[in-house]
Amino acid sequence: MAVIGVALVVCGPLGLILYQSFLSEAFFSPTAHLSVEAYRYVLADAGFHSAFGTSLLVSSGMTIISVPLGSLLAFLLARTDLPGKKWLEPWLLVPIFLSPVVLAFGYVVAVGPVGFFSLWIKALIGRVPWNLYSLFGLILIAGLTHVPHAFLYVSSALRSLDPAVEEAARVAGAGVWRIAVTVSLPLVLPSILFSASLIFLLGFELFGLPLVLGDPAGLLVLTTYLYKLTNLLGVPSYHLMAVVALSIVALTFPLVYLQRRMLRTAGRFAVIGGKGQAFRPLPLGAFRWPAVFLLVLWLLVTVVVPLVGVALRSLVSSWGEGVKLTEVLTLDHFRELWGYPNLVRGIVNTLVIGAIGGALSVAFYAIVGLAAHRWQSSWVSFLDYLVMLPRALPGLIVGLAFLWVFLFFKPIAPLRTTLFSLWIAYTVVWLAYGLRLISASLLQVKPELEEAARVTGARQSLIYRDVTLPLIRFGLMGSWLLIFMMFVREYSTGVYLLGPGTEVIGSLIVSLWGTGALDLISALSVIEVALVGLILFIALRLGVSLHA
Amino acid sequence: MPDLIAENIEKQLGTAQVLRGVSFQLQEREILALLGASGSGKTTLLRSVAGLEQPDGGKIEIRGKLVFDASSGFEIPAEQRGLGLVFQSYAIWPHRTVFENVAYGLRLRHTPEAEIKERVNKVLKRLGLDHLADRYAHQLSGGQQQRVALARAMVYNPPVLLLDEPLSNLDAKLREDARAWLREIIKQTGTSALYVTHDQTEALAIADRVLLLDRGLIQEEGAPEKIYGAPTNRFAAEFMGSNNRFEGKLAEIAGQEGRLEGEGWTLWGQMRLAKKVGEAATGFVRVERTRLSEGAGSDRLRVKLNSALYLGERWEYLFHLGDLRIRVWGEERLPEGEYWVLVPRNSLWIF
Repeated sequence: MAVIGVALVVCGPLGLILYQSFLSEAFFSPTAHLSVEAYRYVLADAGFHSAFGTSLLVSSGMTIISVPLGSLLAFLLARTDLPGKKWLEPWLLVPIFLSPVVLAFGYVVAVGPVGFFSLWIKALIGRVPWNLYSLFGLILIAGLTHVPHAFLYVSSALRSLDPAVEEAARVAGAGVWRIAVTVSLPLVLPSILFSASLIFLLGFELFGLPLVLGDPAGLLVLTTYLYKLTNLLGVPSYHLMAVVALSIVALTFPLVYLQRRMLRTAGRFAVIGGKGQAFRPLPLGAFRWPAVFLLVLWLLVTVVVPLVGVALRSLVSSWGEGVKLTEVLTLDHFRELWGYPNLVRGIVNTLVIGAIGGALSVAFYAIVGLAAHRWQSSWVSFLDYLVMLPRALPGLIVGLAFLWVFLFFKPIAPLRTTLFSLWIAYTVVWLAYGLRLISASLLQVKPELEEAARVTGARQSLIYRDVTLPLIRFGLMGSWLLIFMMFVREYSTGVYLLGPGTEVIGSLIVSLWGTGALDLISALSVIEVALVGLILFIALRLGVSLHA
Repeated sequence: MPDLIAENIEKQLGTAQVLRGVSFQLQEREILALLGASGSGKTTLLRSVAGLEQPDGGKIEIRGKLVFDASSGFEIPAEQRGLGLVFQSYAIWPHRTVFENVAYGLRLRHTPEAEIKERVNKVLKRLGLDHLADRYAHQLSGGQQQRVALARAMVYNPPVLLLDEPLSNLDAKLREDARAWLREIIKQTGTSALYVTHDQTEALAIADRVLLLDRGLIQEEGAPEKIYGAPTNRFAAEFMGSNNRFEGKLAEIAGQEGRLEGEGWTLWGQMRLAKKVGEAATGFVRVERTRLSEGAGSDRLRVKLNSALYLGERWEYLFHLGDLRIRVWGEERLPEGEYWVLVPRNSLWIF
């Protein structure tokens, strides 16, 4: 049952995109017929070629920036006596929970041509020494904001490394940097490569950053090219969008497959320590404070600068050269929000889909996870492959596909304008992440605990009710909080499904960006960041592990 | 009627043939130990009886009721076999109190609440756990957890109690006390028990009968005294206890006895395998049966002391005779030199 459900929500939309790509017009047009016209048009379009090239550059560039930096930070935090690491570590993961479109907007108002920091620097040295709206600016910011992804994978691999291999190098006379470069990092090379392929993949799915930062310079990547295509021809050019969507999937799917292969062989290198024994962190010596400085600098640039920008922008009536900050402070933008019913609905909807939708999604993931749990069947590996698919699908495309599903299948069409359409798209987009959270909790349940119930006389359903679920309830609650955050920060999936009744903060920001309503965007962004911050705070207080 | 009959159980795990046709019967009130090294298949056999593994071949009956038959594909799932199983890791449910852990099996059987209370308290009292009823697993010591696991498996009077290395997670000192206690409890209850262990002392002490498993086959079967004191199988002779080993040729056979000969030595022993004069053979003798002797005589060898190790409760001497290595236990330090060692012909088994 669970497998069929997953197959339906994953394959249905993807099949529809495939079908649409071979039509001459949008599928609802009475004159639509089978053809490869759409492929011919897109593949010959110069705009598509340049978007493809830019995507490739951005993906490679951000991988080159984020993987070494993320690995270095992982080593510092997992293996050395870096001062204040307990306190610093949660902050390292914060960018994962921030909406890229909010971050991008934050950079615009903080270090854009007339941003707060740009103008302060200009007042100091007479010019702005950087240009945000450039390919390099985009790559740098994409790279810096994806450092946590590399950090996550590399640090969890480093933590499972037997400290004795490093101690052996120390005893043999190696210093801390030599140990990092010649022992620790080479031993976790599979994880480093895995994170590199993941970040490279995420590069093709970038949407918020290139939408906001690439726009003024006329830079288009594949996703923003797809987005612009919507408004390009006046009539819905669904067949062309389907082709672009498929071309993105054609790039991402092999990468997902490659990662799967890598994960399977990752165990080869691992030197797993037996008992998680206490070990003495490697002393950084004179490098202690430079290392802290590096970490804090990264945090400043990646988290503090954009967030301060957004917060300040939401509190000023106007900003530009010669404006004094203290004279323009105001709370008007937040008051203004309440005048727009769609924005108010957006805030309410965001909370509803995060809290209630998130809980329902976790319930769905738990059902799928339990179905696959300790079930020896070829269906499980089929399920494994199914779950891979959504990982290759950017939220933008999943949203588009579900829009089409709700237009195409008439009986469910009325659901399109309800939060249900958004919820099901969100659930598919976060399927792989959610299942990973569930299986991480299930892994904590030793099989004997369930076997003991079986031998005592409990049926499978009773085992789940009396043993498995009670044992993972804390894990489920943690999963709910994480999914809650992800659903609140989600923006791209709702872009195509945006309509009266389905507004959420993220997609509203994207659509407002087109109108240039900076005041409203900044106020909405602050509300979203505050929401995410609040949940993150609760999650950390409850001891929920962010390492998923 | 036996409580448990297993016939010709076979099990393949991956490429390994874990069980190659194992048959045994468990009589009423009997404690049967499955003894073997890791990888011998003993735990797989126990889990097959419990229904947690599905054998590829064979038949299992519990109190005359068929629960598994590979030839017809018949299988009663684990939860309907009504057995009690004590896990090596105890597997106490951490989210339930001791009382609720023990009561669970009765609740599943829709026992009235008043009766549950009475029976759980009775079994807890018997195992000395009555004061811990409201505790959780993490508040218990290893020995207490082990008793909770036993109480949980016993409370609904299963026809057969299965125990998977129940003492192996206890400290050595505690384990020695628990041996006697566990046998007494099982005997009092009057249930039959299948007891898996890799510890031969434990198997010999607790069981009425021992099955020695190796590589998926039963090598030897019998009462503890027979398994240890009169093995009929070379694996059993070598696996149990500490042994001295003599590799040589059969020089002479006289009735049940044979004379084994090697370079510079010859010894009489009991023939345990049909062999002809001139064939290569191996003799085994338990170290504790090998003794120092005052002077020359029959069944004696002239040997040179190589080293002596102090083991606390005794000394262990290592003697050389050409290529032969002979260990003997004694009570005092021995000066260097040559000695006579007695290898009684009744205690030397020739295979």
